[in-house]
Amino acid sequence: MLTKFFRNLQSDSPGVLLACLFVALAPSLMAQTAGTGILAGRVTDASGGVVESAAVTATSVETGQTQSVTTGPDGTYKFDGLLPGNYRLKFEAAGFKTVEIPSVTVNTTGTAVLDEKLEVSEKISGDQTTGAPSPAQENLPNAPSSSVSPPSLSDLGLTPEQTQGNPREQALLDKRTHMLKIHQRMGLITTIPLVATVILGPGAGGKSEGTATRDLHVALGSLTGDLYGITAYYAIRAPRIPGTKKRGPIKFHEAMAWIHGPGMILTPILGAMAFSQKNNGEKVHGIAQAHGPVAIVTAGAFGAALLSVSVKF
Amino acid sequence: MNIRSLAACLLLAFPPLAPAADSQWVLGQNSLTYHVSHPLHESEGVSHAARGKGVCHAGQCDFLIAVAVKSFDSGDSNRDLHMVQVTRGAEFPLVMVRTRLPESAAASVTVNADLEIQFAGQTVQYKQVPFKLETHGGETRITGTIPATLSDFKIDPPSLLTLPVKNEIPVRVDMTWRPQ
Repeated sequence: MLTKFFRNLQSDSPGVLLACLFVALAPSLMAQTAGTGILAGRVTDASGGVVESAAVTATSVETGQTQSVTTGPDGTYKFDGLLPGNYRLKFEAAGFKTVEIPSVTVNTTGTAVLDEKLEVSEKISGDQTTGAPSPAQENLPNAPSSSVSPPSLSDLGLTPEQTQGNPREQALLDKRTHMLKIHQRMGLITTIPLVATVILGPGAGGKSEGTATRDLHVALGSLTGDLYGITAYYAIRAPRIPGTKKRGPIKFHEAMAWIHGPGMILTPILGAMAFSQKNNGEKVHGIAQAHGPVAIVTAGAFGAALLSVSVKF
Repeated sequence: MNIRSLAACLLLAFPPLAPAADSQWVLGQNSLTYHVSHPLHESEGVSHAARGKGVCHAGQCDFLIAVAVKSFDSGDSNRDLHMVQVTRGAEFPLVMVRTRLPESAAASVTVNADLEIQFAGQTVQYKQVPFKLETHGGETRITGTIPATLSDFKIDPPSLLTLPVKNEIPVRVDMTWRPQ
């Protein structure tokens, strides 16, 4: 097929052929100068017979660059001048199942050898439940002819409880993650009116006769309180996973909740008192004077809780 | 003598001729470390709880290594629970690795192993993964990195503050095997 392709190119235009050769060879030549590796192997069928003209495609995991070769009459293939790194390999041949290998490591120290055994596409896959070998097992290289059984989980001393899945616990984990995701997003959203409320605080409690800033401060404070309530709900109602001991930043995150939680209740109460006093033309006095400091501590604890699970200190 | 009696006599006279393993290996001290990258975080989870066995016959050794998904500790229980959830670790509680190596590899300094990894309900093969070998007093220490990715195992990248983690989750392996 390649011969026909090149013959057509030659007859059409030698210039095009030269251009194609340049485009095809230039990256390879450049790569070789930078220190390259070789990936080679043989493609066979289940009986060990060679598979000719199988397409082998190597895609660099790092760069996404793709190269393809086909196997020769002896079933072998070879990639020259591959940059060191990890490559995904795809084996395709007519009448066989396509096989994809997610990662093959190529380095400059030697030739990476990857032999692949292809299954006929009509073949029924092995079923682990019946004890027949799985396709993955069949694909392992250098399959020994001995009947000594490979080690099993029972050889490792694992109990059925350790090896069997627990769908109920998985469902609990899924629900927990779903609720904590909402908690996280609501926490981020709450931060916006919270910061705005704090910024407007000094203006709302100043000597100015105008009430616009104060009203906006109250409105934003109310919005913050509502959003905070929703945020807290999703954290409190998220299912607990039995047998889990809390470790790490989450302990600090939860400790901060014992500060900003009561603070989020106390702040609006004190704020309402201060608001009432201001509307009566009085200077803010008594316990209402604590509204500002309590709000600052609350906002600080909220920010610390957010940062503790976001940034590594 | 009926056929059943004859069969019984033959079984007693000639015990089953199943081939015995030439040698076996058992996994001793081990450390498996996954690395996760996030724009705000670099985190690692470590497990020392892997169990493994190797059975050798006719010059080839079959190895099986299993480790509980829940045994990985990143120092943050919240992150570990999230990891178990996204990898479906409660439904598929074990990471299992199978490989087959020539018995002569124990005497080498490096070995390229073909790994079959079962994790998160998927079976993925990694070919030609390089490992270093050091042998001291009959024990063989194997170190290397498996170039795993989340997409290999069809795991949706978890996100923090709406930013997803990187797809690459290389797993560092440090295992000491001793003959049994």
